[in-house]
Amino acid sequence: MTGQSGIRLENVSRSFKGRGATVQALDQVSLDCPAGSFTALIGPSGCGKSTMLRLALGLDHADSGAVSIAGITPMEAARAGMTGVAFQDAALMPWRNVEDNIALPLDVLRKSRRDNAGKIASLIELVGLSGFEKALPGELSGGMRQRVAIARSLVTNPQVLFLDEPFGALDQILRRQMNVELQRIWISSRATTLLVTHGIDEAVFLADRVAVMQSKPGRITRIVDIPLMRPRRPDIFTSAEFHRLEDEIAGALDGH
Amino acid sequence: MAIEAIAARFSTLRNWLVLLVLWEICGRLQVIASGALPAPSSILMRLWIDRADYPPHILATLEGAGAGFLIGNSLAVAAGVLFALFPMAARLGRGVNIALFALPAIAISPLLVLTFSGATPRIILAAIGCYFVTMSSTVTGISQTDARMIDVIRAYGGGRWSILALAQMRSALPAILSGLRIAAPNAVLGSILAEFGGGGRFGLGVYLLGSLGRAEPDRLWGIGLAATLIAGLAYALFSLIAVRFTGATKAVTVPATAPGGEATSWPLWLRLLLSTGSILIPIALWWLLLIAMGTPAMIAKTPVGLFEYLFLLPNSGVSQMKLLAALGQTLPLTIVGMALGIAFAFGLALMSVLRPGIIRGFMPVALVTQTMPLVALTPLLVLMLGRGPSVILWITISVTFFPAFVTMAQGLSMVPRAALDVPRAYGASLFTQLRLVSVPASLPYLFAATRLAVPRALLGVMIAEWLATGTGLGNLLNQSRGYLDYGMIWAVAVVSVLMSVVFYQCVVLIERPVLARRGMHAAQ
Repeated sequence: MTGQSGIRLENVSRSFKGRGATVQALDQVSLDCPAGSFTALIGPSGCGKSTMLRLALGLDHADSGAVSIAGITPMEAARAGMTGVAFQDAALMPWRNVEDNIALPLDVLRKSRRDNAGKIASLIELVGLSGFEKALPGELSGGMRQRVAIARSLVTNPQVLFLDEPFGALDQILRRQMNVELQRIWISSRATTLLVTHGIDEAVFLADRVAVMQSKPGRITRIVDIPLMRPRRPDIFTSAEFHRLEDEIAGALDGH
Repeated sequence: MAIEAIAARFSTLRNWLVLLVLWEICGRLQVIASGALPAPSSILMRLWIDRADYPPHILATLEGAGAGFLIGNSLAVAAGVLFALFPMAARLGRGVNIALFALPAIAISPLLVLTFSGATPRIILAAIGCYFVTMSSTVTGISQTDARMIDVIRAYGGGRWSILALAQMRSALPAILSGLRIAAPNAVLGSILAEFGGGGRFGLGVYLLGSLGRAEPDRLWGIGLAATLIAGLAYALFSLIAVRFTGATKAVTVPATAPGGEATSWPLWLRLLLSTGSILIPIALWWLLLIAMGTPAMIAKTPVGLFEYLFLLPNSGVSQMKLLAALGQTLPLTIVGMALGIAFAFGLALMSVLRPGIIRGFMPVALVTQTMPLVALTPLLVLMLGRGPSVILWITISVTFFPAFVTMAQGLSMVPRAALDVPRAYGASLFTQLRLVSVPASLPYLFAATRLAVPRALLGVMIAEWLATGTGLGNLLNQSRGYLDYGMIWAVAVVSVLMSVVFYQCVVLIERPVLARRGMHAAQ
């Protein structure tokens, strides 16, 4: 299966027309995420990170250039059930309880929910929401909702996982915990992962490679390899090597 | 908080009691227009005396209203889904939608009675009364579905139907229910108005028309009360259901994207084609319906027949003069009444933001003015205010007020809490909050309410003219009914629909640029 589940963007451009002005969100951007790799996209607000992710998900179409997942179009890959996604905002359905929200991708893909009942239960446990199976999103805290969204993104056993600032709304403590959890999940699944993030530490901790973006026009200016051994333990956050990588990325963000 | 709520409820109750006692005293002393406003106790007594008369009348009205409600709303939801999913269908259906919406029920009620028999006219008018409200709230509900939810479904390869089934229908439910809430009293009103047109021995409208000449205000009030009660119960039922569903549906977070901002860029020729189609479809339907019904040409005027009546016959000149004179009387009052009704609704909707208790206290009153004045208050208001234009104004204000108020109060309640909190955090007064947040945020709803009010205002004026003042289009319609002047009945019906459509389009023409400049989208 691996070797076929990479994400490829080739010379992709996308512009948006606002009120009068045209914004070049992406200008001739190329990115190749090999199968089984973990890539983080980092950059200032408005640099086109989320646009890239939407293009790779098939939610938006490029003005020019090509996007493919495992050699097929993003929509085909989605219909085949290969992908999983968690958005910046949990985007839960307020009328579905935790279990039903996690099961949503199964409903869309017309897969049996009963066959996956065990999977759903284990995901709820994984994200620490045992006991909240029947709770509605309105009854959960922001962090809990975000964890439901993470569980939802994993319910299809995706080979390709897209994460759009999934922990952006969480506090630092919870965020670190979730980072450790996510790494564990990723190591066991080895899904090709594209993470959009604002957090330098999060990017360094999780990714194999960090793609640094700049805005106006949106483009990738540098790719930093993260040669840290896995599994990375939480104490790595304080290591010298970790700080050096953080500084390197911060420098790249400043345009050095 | 709980104590406050109880206190608010208590004060509402107290206000009602005070009002009731005052009414009783006025009625007993025959203060107002020598007995036109009977005391509540004598109305109730009269209801008790007449109690055997009511069941067949209520049942007959309920039958028409109920069947119309079911048929009209089923069609409306189906059409709403179609229009929300296919913008081209929405564009083509515009003409029919606006015509159905703008149709003053009273103008076509005589025509329906001429063309159909039995309960059919009642069912049709009740269904028409429901259609537009429910159709447009379905479209709104579907197109305002949280874009992020749709993204999730699309990201898993879900197509149009998955999105509809999993997200849009459910998230449209509260909007549809609030549409049904307004549709329910409309159905009752539609049935009663069809009963005015004649046909059938039973129905509250028949009962009312029969009691109108007898100078028995207490009975008129009783009938009005019964009609109001039915409408009120229907409204309350759907409010209860709506509360159940909205509880679980309130957005968990504030949506970042404006809903339904889908910019369709069709080529000019296609837009022209669609516009022409949308204008031609209602006319074609009118024609086809008459052919299908096989109504004799003397009674049923096709578009050609109507043109002949107005322009080619020897009498055409006289007919034109009569029509124009009536129009000249109806038009100014419609505009003034509508403006006042909307201004009143807007003011009250803004107040309801400051004092939520007002909605609770005022909703019943608004509800009473919804069905009551049309059928029962008219003769009473005539006694109180005379047969001058002020009667027309009051009636028009009261019929435009209710739907406008509901639309705007609902729109204002959707302003996110956080948006109100920002000015408050800087110590803004309630008034400043209104000025900075609520009023700008309510603009789309103000326009939507105005569009909603246009045909109702015309309906109010025409009913008042028919029943009270003997002027304008309403009177012309009633007269022509007496003279069996079918051409004129059709002419009034068509002219009043056209007038509504023109008004409506004027509002749309102002609305678009104003909202576009503020980066807002039109509310339904």
